Amino acid sequence: MTPLFRSFAMFIRQISRDSMLYAVCIAPLFAALFFRFGIPYLEARLCGYFNLPAILAEYYLLFDLFLAILTPFLFCFASSMVILTETDENMSGYLAVTPVGKKGYLVSRLVFPALISLFASVILLSLFSLTLWPLPLMLAVCFLASLFSILVSLLVVSFSHNRVEGMAVSKISGIMMFGLLVPFFIFSDIQYLFSVLPSFWIAKLCYDRDYLSILPALLTSFLWIGILYRRFEKKLT
Amino acid sequence: MRTKALFLGDVRFQIKYGFYYIYLFFSILYIGILFALPPQWRLTAAILMIFSDPAAMGLYFMGAIVLFEKSERVLNSVAISPVKPYEYVLSKLLSIGFISTIVAIAIGVASDVITKPFFFITGVFLCSCLFSAIGLIFACRISSLNQFVIATIPAELIINVPAIAWLFGYQKSWLLFHPGISLIELLRGSSSALPALIILIVWTLFFAVLAEGIVKKMLRSVGGVKL
Repeated sequence: MTPLFRSFAMFIRQISRDSMLYAVCIAPLFAALFFRFGIPYLEARLCGYFNLPAILAEYYLLFDLFLAILTPFLFCFASSMVILTETDENMSGYLAVTPVGKKGYLVSRLVFPALISLFASVILLSLFSLTLWPLPLMLAVCFLASLFSILVSLLVVSFSHNRVEGMAVSKISGIMMFGLLVPFFIFSDIQYLFSVLPSFWIAKLCYDRDYLSILPALLTSFLWIGILYRRFEKKLT
Repeated sequence: MRTKALFLGDVRFQIKYGFYYIYLFFSILYIGILFALPPQWRLTAAILMIFSDPAAMGLYFMGAIVLFEKSERVLNSVAISPVKPYEYVLSKLLSIGFISTIVAIAIGVASDVITKPFFFITGVFLCSCLFSAIGLIFACRISSLNQFVIATIPAELIINVPAIAWLFGYQKSWLLFHPGISLIELLRGSSSALPALIILIVWTLFFAVLAEGIVKKMLRSVGGVKL
């Protein structure tokens, strides 16, 4: 375990030197404050302007969902940028042959940040959510959001051969977030076209309050992670 | 001649690393979204899309491009070659401006929002060059992708926030001096498009010259030695 913590400490030192650590900590807090106080204010102004009873209020849950996903997503984004740099400079290959190992390398770069951000998400959501969240739902969503962020990072690092491709893939990986919007805007069965996206099941879990959605969310997440991990592992050899 | 070769090299680089495929995908996606929106929203949505993505492409990718060139020692070769810093800057700006403009035209034509093609095309091209020049200024001074992402946040906020506020109705005339707002007026083909074009040219030239100075400094000190 010690090599993993050392590798994680190395990662933290690296992102704190780049100021990314502070950005990753501060940005979700700003977003939470904006969602909690800015969105209701905007809603009141919009409703007054358009003379409607509700405009954004129907989507408060969606804002909460974005808040739940934001911290792990940002933390894992910083991780993927570090992994891309380390892969370009052959550092990840060297680390993989130390006691850290291939799996350990990814655990220290992705799983540890995701775990930390899971706790941060729970705290942010319980303090700043716009809707009421039962604790089991909050924990489930934050856990799935962390898994989802690991998956997105793996997508970036496993499908790119260098930093430039990495930035290009990270642009496309934003599409994975689309699933969050689907249950809120597509009400017919067409929505199941997006069922390969874990984000779709996370949103469905919150929207329908159907705890059974946790199963497909876990299944799709682990499936993606498994496939992408194998791809990344090959890259390291 | 050298600029042409550098330009072609940069275009080849962008093709090789998937810029063109990615933007083909994004163009189709954006056009699809535009058609899914009510027709009265289409113009505003198209402007927002063009402004925030193809036009701002340079600010997003420049860090990765320059860092990659640094790690592959491309800049070392450029530094000892007869290539002048302004040629290097020009090639970067033109090659990204080229793909940005193609994508913007595709989105604009498909969603039928182009009213004055001259202002539309020059607006996107100049704004793309401006964003790329700003990206280049930051990219020369950083050593990691995370540093670049953090460094560009203030620039993105300064350019994007007033422009989006303008798009949604906060329209004070003095704001026309803002480059992002100038682009919006050019894309709209409004009556103030001509002054907006002049303002955007001035901003782009200013940042291109600034970028050239910083690239010159960077090329003098690649590899840790002053050339």
